[in-house]
Amino acid sequence: MKLLLVEDEQSLRESIEKYFSEEGSICETCGDQKTAIQKIAVYNYDCILLDIGLPDGDGFAILDFLRSTGKNECVLIISARNSLDDKIKGLNLGADDYITKPFHLAELKARLMAIFRRKTFVTNNTLEYNEICVDLLGRRVTVNDKVMVLTRKEYDMLLYFIANKGKVISKNAIAEHLWGDEMDMLDSFDFIYTHIKNLRKKLMELSGKDFFATIYGVGYKFA
Amino acid sequence: MKLSAHYNKASIIVSVSVLLISGVVYYLIINHIARQQLDNDLTEEVEEVIDYVNQNQRLPRSIDFDEDVTTFAKTKAQAFDTRFFDTPYNNPKEKKAEDGRAVSALIKVNGQGYIVTIVESREETEYLIQIISAITLALTAVLLCIMIVTNRFVLNGLWRPFYSILQQVKKFNVADTGKIATIGSTVDEFKDLSDAVAKMSSRVTTDYLGLKTFTENASHEMMTPLAVITSKLDILIQDEKLSPDQFAQITDIYSAASRLSRLNQSLLLLVKIDNNLLRDTEKINLRTVILDKGQQFHEMIHNKNIALDYQLNNFEVNASRYLIDVLVNNLFSNAIRHNKNAGRIEIRLSGNKLCFQNTGDPSPLDQDAIFERFYKGRNSDGTGLGLAIMKNICTLYDFSIGYQFNQGMHCFWVEFGQ
Repeated sequence: MKLLLVEDEQSLRESIEKYFSEEGSICETCGDQKTAIQKIAVYNYDCILLDIGLPDGDGFAILDFLRSTGKNECVLIISARNSLDDKIKGLNLGADDYITKPFHLAELKARLMAIFRRKTFVTNNTLEYNEICVDLLGRRVTVNDKVMVLTRKEYDMLLYFIANKGKVISKNAIAEHLWGDEMDMLDSFDFIYTHIKNLRKKLMELSGKDFFATIYGVGYKFA
Repeated sequence: MKLSAHYNKASIIVSVSVLLISGVVYYLIINHIARQQLDNDLTEEVEEVIDYVNQNQRLPRSIDFDEDVTTFAKTKAQAFDTRFFDTPYNNPKEKKAEDGRAVSALIKVNGQGYIVTIVESREETEYLIQIISAITLALTAVLLCIMIVTNRFVLNGLWRPFYSILQQVKKFNVADTGKIATIGSTVDEFKDLSDAVAKMSSRVTTDYLGLKTFTENASHEMMTPLAVITSKLDILIQDEKLSPDQFAQITDIYSAASRLSRLNQSLLLLVKIDNNLLRDTEKINLRTVILDKGQQFHEMIHNKNIALDYQLNNFEVNASRYLIDVLVNNLFSNAIRHNKNAGRIEIRLSGNKLCFQNTGDPSPLDQDAIFERFYKGRNSDGTGLGLAIMKNICTLYDFSIGYQFNQGMHCFWVEFGQ
């Protein structure tokens, strides 16, 4: 996957670049509107991660440019403003999703994969990872051609882990993904353990493999 | 009491007392002058009698002295001080007793001493005094009437701009954009007041707007550094060479960052509610919202072994879905967070009253302080803004919210408008 990251905050740009590059996919970056438009005009990307607040104007101009040149890149807006107006404006201008700072890189990745899948849905509506096969349309999961029955949360969690395969995901990120960040529950994330345990058990029964690794107290890795 | 009434009272007391005192002084002076006049007359009469006696060497007859009653009495006294005194006067014509003034003096006729007493009627001077008193009283009454009428109509009219300014000040709300208009009045004081109030209100509104913008911008500016922290942590935990101890520290940083981000979001939400920026209202079935939220919180409730009991009727409320979501969310998370292990939560929705009861700390909370921003109970690790947000949502929609502690249960209730 070829990705363009438009973000003016250098350290954030570096983090995102690092997290996304390790896949073997290409991640190009730039820090202002002018360079972004130049790059978009010359190259084709699969996805664009777009920060709305740029030093030389807002990111909406880039959306306008994309639309006026008939380009069909997936766009995920990154904004510091959790404002409904900005969100609606962005989506109306052709963006595919909107994420508010601060976010977990795992969440960003999962969202990006989701919109990318949606764009390529016509040709491919199954998601495969080793022996796991997810039918995105029917929300059906099979492992080694055997049907695995999952609850809604387990299904969401599986997609989330597949999108972030090979990465350590913190418990905070998992909890926020499944319950939303309005869930004001800081005390402990023990309750996510039950879901992980169930999903792990179901996968093990059908594949005979343990996909999960527990990383000390901090989180989980799916590989 | 109104200012005009105060003014009325003062002016009436002052003018009535001035009129009364001047009436009394008037009376005394006129009385004194009239008496002096009478006494002068009487002295003249006595002199006439003496002249008569000197000319004729005999006493005059009573009739010679107009209507005055003159009497002579023999006396052996050699000296007698002439004296004036009040005495009844018998009007010989009208045959009736009147007030009179008399003089007694000693005269000598051929060596024989006589006390002559002349009594004169005071009727006319009395009459004069009565007329003056009546005029004074009538004047007082007329003046009072005029003053009351003037005060009522003229003063009330004069004060009208003041009341209109007052009305505007009462209605003034810093969060509204509406400004206080200046009032055209011919009274300089009111014009000044109106100008000052208008200036003050526009300054307050500007300051308030500035403060809100500042809060909003500050909160937004904090989001990017927070995003940097979170993303760096996400990268950091990919390093499997870290020790368990380092992972534990990273977990703490995660919690702090997520808490900071939540705090920021809560502040922004407060600003949004204050600014009434979430105007989209729709009919929301509260029962459905509560059941959905209960489902969402299922894991947390289960994790603490809390027994959840619903008694919900159907009730629809007209509000922003997002805010009702936040409200129910906060009610739930408070009831879970401050609950004990194996505790209870009872949710009642009857009529328009929603009540969340939960077990927890055995002593009641401070009713007055809990809805304040950044108030935190013992060992609470929330943002301290949850209840303040709930309160603001309720204020926005004119709902009432409250807290009760009964039989070991903490109860937060919200009464929705009809």
